[in-house]
Parts: sequence; C-alpha cells; structure tokens
Amino acid sequence: MSELFHAFGIDWRLLILQVINFGILVGALWFFLYKPVLSMLRGREEMIAKGVKDAQAAEEIRKDVEEKKGEILKSAETEAHDVVTAAKQQGSDERGKILKDAEERAAKVAKDAELRAKETEKKARKDAEKEIAKLSILAAEKVLEKK
Amino acid sequence: MAKEIAIHLEPTVLTHLFGLPITNTLLSTIVVSALLIVSAYFLGRNLKLVPGKLQAAVEGIIEFPYSFVRETLEYDKKLVAWVFPLVMTIFIFVLTANWFGLLPFIGAIGIEDHGHFLPFFYPINTDLNVTLALSIIALLAIETAGIITLGALRYGGKFVTFKSPLAFAVGIIELFSELARLISFSFRLFGNIFAGKVLILVVFSFVPLLVPVPLLAFELFVGFIQAAIFALLTLFFIKIAVAEPH
Repeated sequence: MSELFHAFGIDWRLLILQVINFGILVGALWFFLYKPVLSMLRGREEMIAKGVKDAQAAEEIRKDVEEKKGEILKSAETEAHDVVTAAKQQGSDERGKILKDAEERAAKVAKDAELRAKETEKKARKDAEKEIAKLSILAAEKVLEKK
Repeated sequence: MAKEIAIHLEPTVLTHLFGLPITNTLLSTIVVSALLIVSAYFLGRNLKLVPGKLQAAVEGIIEFPYSFVRETLEYDKKLVAWVFPLVMTIFIFVLTANWFGLLPFIGAIGIEDHGHFLPFFYPINTDLNVTLALSIIALLAIETAGIITLGALRYGGKFVTFKSPLAFAVGIIELFSELARLISFSFRLFGNIFAGKVLILVVFSFVPLLVPVPLLAFELFVGFIQAAIFALLTLFFIKIAVAEPH
C-alpha cells in the first residue's frame, strides 16, 4: 500500500494543502461571486415580479377609470338632454304666458279706451244739452224783452 | 528525437520549503486558485441590475447550475446553501485546472536541471494528491449530507442493518462501494488528465506541427467533461445519500 502511495507521489502534507486550498477557494468564490450574483438574481426576480404586479394593477385602474369615464359621459349627456328639454319646456310655457298676458292687457286697454270714449261722448252730450238749454233760455229772454 | 520524454506518475518536486515538497502541480494549483479568486472578486464587485454582456454570461454560468442543484435536491434550502458552492467550485476548479494545463506557453516556463527540463507549471490533475484531496472532500460532503438530513442513526442504518441476513450483506456491500468511490473519483480524473498529457507529450515529440491541434481540442473537451462528471457525481451521490432508506 505504501509502495503504491509512493509510486503516485502521495504525500499527506500535499493532500492537506490541497484540501485547505480547495476550502479557501470555496469560501472565496462563495463570498466574492456566488453570493452577490445569486442575491442580485433574486433582487431582479423580485423587481420583475413587482413590475408585473404593478402593471396589472395599473391596467385594472385604467379599466376602472375608463368605465367610470363612460358612466360619467353618459350621465352628463342625459343631464344635458334633460336640461335642454326643461329649458325648452319652460321657454314655451313662458312664451305662452307672456302672449296671454299681452293679449289680456291689450284687451283691457281696448276696453278701457271704449269705456272712456263712451263716457266722453255722454259728457259731451250732457254738456251740449246744458248749452242748448242755456241758449234757448237766453233766446226766450231776448224775445220777451223785445215785446 | 530531440529529447527523451519524461513521464512520471508522481509530480515533479521543484524545491523544498521547510521540508515541505513544493511540486509543480502545487504551484499550478496556487496560481489557478489565485486567478480564480481575483477574477471572482472583479466579476462580483460591481454587478448591475441591468447586466452587460460579461455579467450576463457570468450570471448564466452560475444561475443554470444553481437551478439544477436546487431541482436535484428538491428545493431543500439548507442543503442547497452549502452543496451548491461546493459542487460549483469543484466544477470551476477542475475545469480551470484542466484548461490551464493546456495553455501553450505555460509548459515552457521552467528551469534546466541536470540536463532535465523542470516545468514550473503542470496539468494539476496529473497529480493524484489533488484528485485524491478532491475525492476526500466529495466523500466527506456526501456522508455529511446524509448524516445531517437523515440523522446519524438512520443514515448508518443504510449500511448496517440486522433486518435480515440478506439486508445485512447488502448493507456491507453498500459500505464498501461508498468507500470505493474515493478510488473511482480520484483515479477517473487522474487517469483522464494524465493520459491526455502523456498523449500530447508523445505526439508533440514526434510531430510537433498540426497533428497536436485536434488532440488539444479533444483534451479541452475531456477537461470540460471530467470537470462536469466530478461535480455531477458529487451532486448525485449527495442526492442518493439524503434519500430515505427503505
């Protein structure tokens, strides 16, 4: 056995040195390379997962907003329509009222005018009658004086 | 032939430091490890959320094995936390070690010593010390995973049972095959890379032009495959170790 070891140059000190060397290599590569690279990969994975999640959330919000936008537009349209209809209705109502008022007033004015005209006529006739009576008295007096 | 080819099973000792033999494979191991640590430092230092081309490549190299390990271990967080760095580092280290040994100018650095050329750098996995060390680590990891997940008693019960004579015999065989992995792990990697190095040396000494090119390409492929096999087998044996005994 020891002859075999000798033939291959096996030396326990060299073996131990090789084991130590390999141990150092594992430690150094783990610390300098594997650990930072793996944590970097994990970090990137998390970031991508978060990015995808965020994008999904944003998409949902967008859809929500779109839906709400549609609703708002629709309600605004109906409201506008209502307002216009109401305004039209009101306008036509007012017009009718104004026309009626005007007609009424015109009628009243016409009636007043007629009344006043009649009164004036009456008065004028009365005045005329008085005048005529006065004149006839005067004429009778004059006739009597001549006699 | 210009030079005789020197082929040894054992690694070449460059010098001794406090009685410790410094082999060219040990020197190569240290250089490769230092290169890996420095590159890891610069690659991991400023990671950005939006990656550049280099960062994307690095992320892919780490993320794919990571999700594979997680899937294989059925999302056992505690287990993945330490198995992934181990398996990943086995793969990266063995791969870099194999490819480093194939770099063309690396083999030319060295000194002349008593008429022999002593290269400073040599394919790391042609040294059984290295592959055996990795196998020991893999074996320890496999047994640890089993003991942590199942508990020492239940995990030991996979190998030593008295339910029936047959189950007892099967358990003992399992125990041996568990230990035999030490040999299969270490010699598979050692044999592949050693054979590749010898093949290239021989071909280079006969036909130094053009012919070695496809061989080098093939060795690149072998280097990758062996790294993947070592890492994947470690992972699968861990998966088997943490499986419920039946």
